[in-house]
Amino acid sequence: MTIDFVLNGKPQKTQIRSGDRLVYVLQKLGDFPSLIPDCLGGNCGRCLVFMDGRLIYSCLTPAFKAKGSSIVTYEGFSATEDCKDIIYGLKQASAFPCNFCRKAKIMMIADLLKRIPLPEETDIMEQMSIVSCPCTDPVSLAKAVLLSAECRNKRKFKRADK
Amino acid sequence: MRISEIFYPNSLGDLLELLKANPELLIVAGGTEVVGMQASKSLSFPAQIASISHLPELQKTTRSEQYLEVGCCTTLSGLLTLSSGALPAPLPQVIQSIGNPAIRNTATIGGNLCCKRRFMDLWPFLACIDAQMEIRSLHGNRWAGVSHLSDDAGLPQFPEASILTRIRIPLHAPNFSFFKKLGNSRFPSPESAYFVCMAEISHDKIESFRLIFAGERAFRLKDHEATLIGRRVPLSQKDIQPIVDYYSAEFVEKTGNDNYQFNALTEESLGRISGQ
Ligand SMILES: Cc1cc2nc3c(=O)[nH]c(=O)nc-3n(C[C@H](O)[C@H](O)[C@H](O)COP(=O)(O)OP(=O)(O)OC[C@H]3O[C@@H](n4cnc5c(N)ncnc54)[C@H](O)[C@@H]3O)c2cc1C
Ligand code: FES
Ligand code: FES
Repeated sequence: MTIDFVLNGKPQKTQIRSGDRLVYVLQKLGDFPSLIPDCLGGNCGRCLVFMDGRLIYSCLTPAFKAKGSSIVTYEGFSATEDCKDIIYGLKQASAFPCNFCRKAKIMMIADLLKRIPLPEETDIMEQMSIVSCPCTDPVSLAKAVLLSAECRNKRKFKRADK
Repeated sequence: MRISEIFYPNSLGDLLELLKANPELLIVAGGTEVVGMQASKSLSFPAQIASISHLPELQKTTRSEQYLEVGCCTTLSGLLTLSSGALPAPLPQVIQSIGNPAIRNTATIGGNLCCKRRFMDLWPFLACIDAQMEIRSLHGNRWAGVSHLSDDAGLPQFPEASILTRIRIPLHAPNFSFFKKLGNSRFPSPESAYFVCMAEISHDKIESFRLIFAGERAFRLKDHEATLIGRRVPLSQKDIQPIVDYYSAEFVEKTGNDNYQFNALTEESLGRISGQ
């Protein structure tokens, strides 16, 4: 069957089969280095996308559910100022993630800051469970999130002030 | 890969017609359970699938003085974003124990209750607080307690060619609750289960009592619950022990399992009711 949706701002019309996971359909539609599914089970986060503004695992989403939706991958998000704030926060906190999980973690933090501009420690810890990572200490990652939030809020606040 | 036919009904009426024509139709709400169960690259589904999460009539939320009524396709994240106090006390905590925020962005309350292979986390709570559900089929609609989603043997059941459309969650929960999630806390495994005990205590007397253990099977002794009503609290250890022994023996009898955690949790909940 054919479905329509918007991918990183561009309308798409594509053929899918009922058994397709969304992540594989997206992979075929362009060059998306952020989409390299590993676990297919909601663990690694290497399939995270925003669908209609909500962060989802595209490996756990049947492609047919994308009909009529708007999807943003890391590649679509990476051009935004919000993404730069997160990278800044991660670097400042010396919590820059490894290549395996970096994009997933950035998407994970982006989702949190979108929902809760000034997250509490419990919100941050809860959000961390989206991408499993045995190697980054949660305190540094929490610090990175708070620094990203500070940077983002300053930027947005300044703009609102003008 | 078997190719299934996919339907996107335009309304609930359409969906009911589809169910009538294809009683084996697989309803997909968030899809996290039907996909999460499959490990292979390609998914396999029955011959016909209906995707329902886009239907606005299944996402509506209304509130009255007594209850909150939510559409079956309300996501778990959606439930958590309701204003504080919109959900009875332990429910936000229970919802937060399900998967993680990205799962909850997609997972729906209807899908959580209608899981066919086991009881998921919301059922024991909603059964304890006497939540009601609306079931629709082409023969009409009816309201029933969500406790009816368990058959006499404690296995999940759901009427054929029907859909769960709305859930009514009472806003008043009993003033005592004790609950514990067992097994893998982030993904339903065979060992996963929820132990829930709730009671209304008023003027040092038990006014209502519920104790449910639900995992692959549900366990509840409705008749025995009634015998505890009217008992004075605090219960002494001498009062508690026979209740624990009775529950343990029935648990083994009904589930075929001697679950030491269940026994310990039963004892702990009765102790907590008594402020011990
Ligand atoms: C990584 C991961 C972690 C998880 N962790 C938890 C957890 O901690 N606790 C927990 O409880 N669950 C957990 N789950 C299971 C699942 O995500 C949830 O139970 C979720 O609420 C199911 O909702 P859904 O909308 O995705 O259901 P779907 O997958 O769409 O449907 C589930 C079942 O219900 C039926 N159904 C759905 N809606 C209706 C309806 N309105 N009427 C009739 N039948 C219907 C479907 O046909 C299907 O059989 C997890 C899943 C994953 C993948
Ligand atoms: S591929 Fe690992 S979470 Fe989707
Ligand atoms: S998996 Fe990448 S930093 Fe831990």
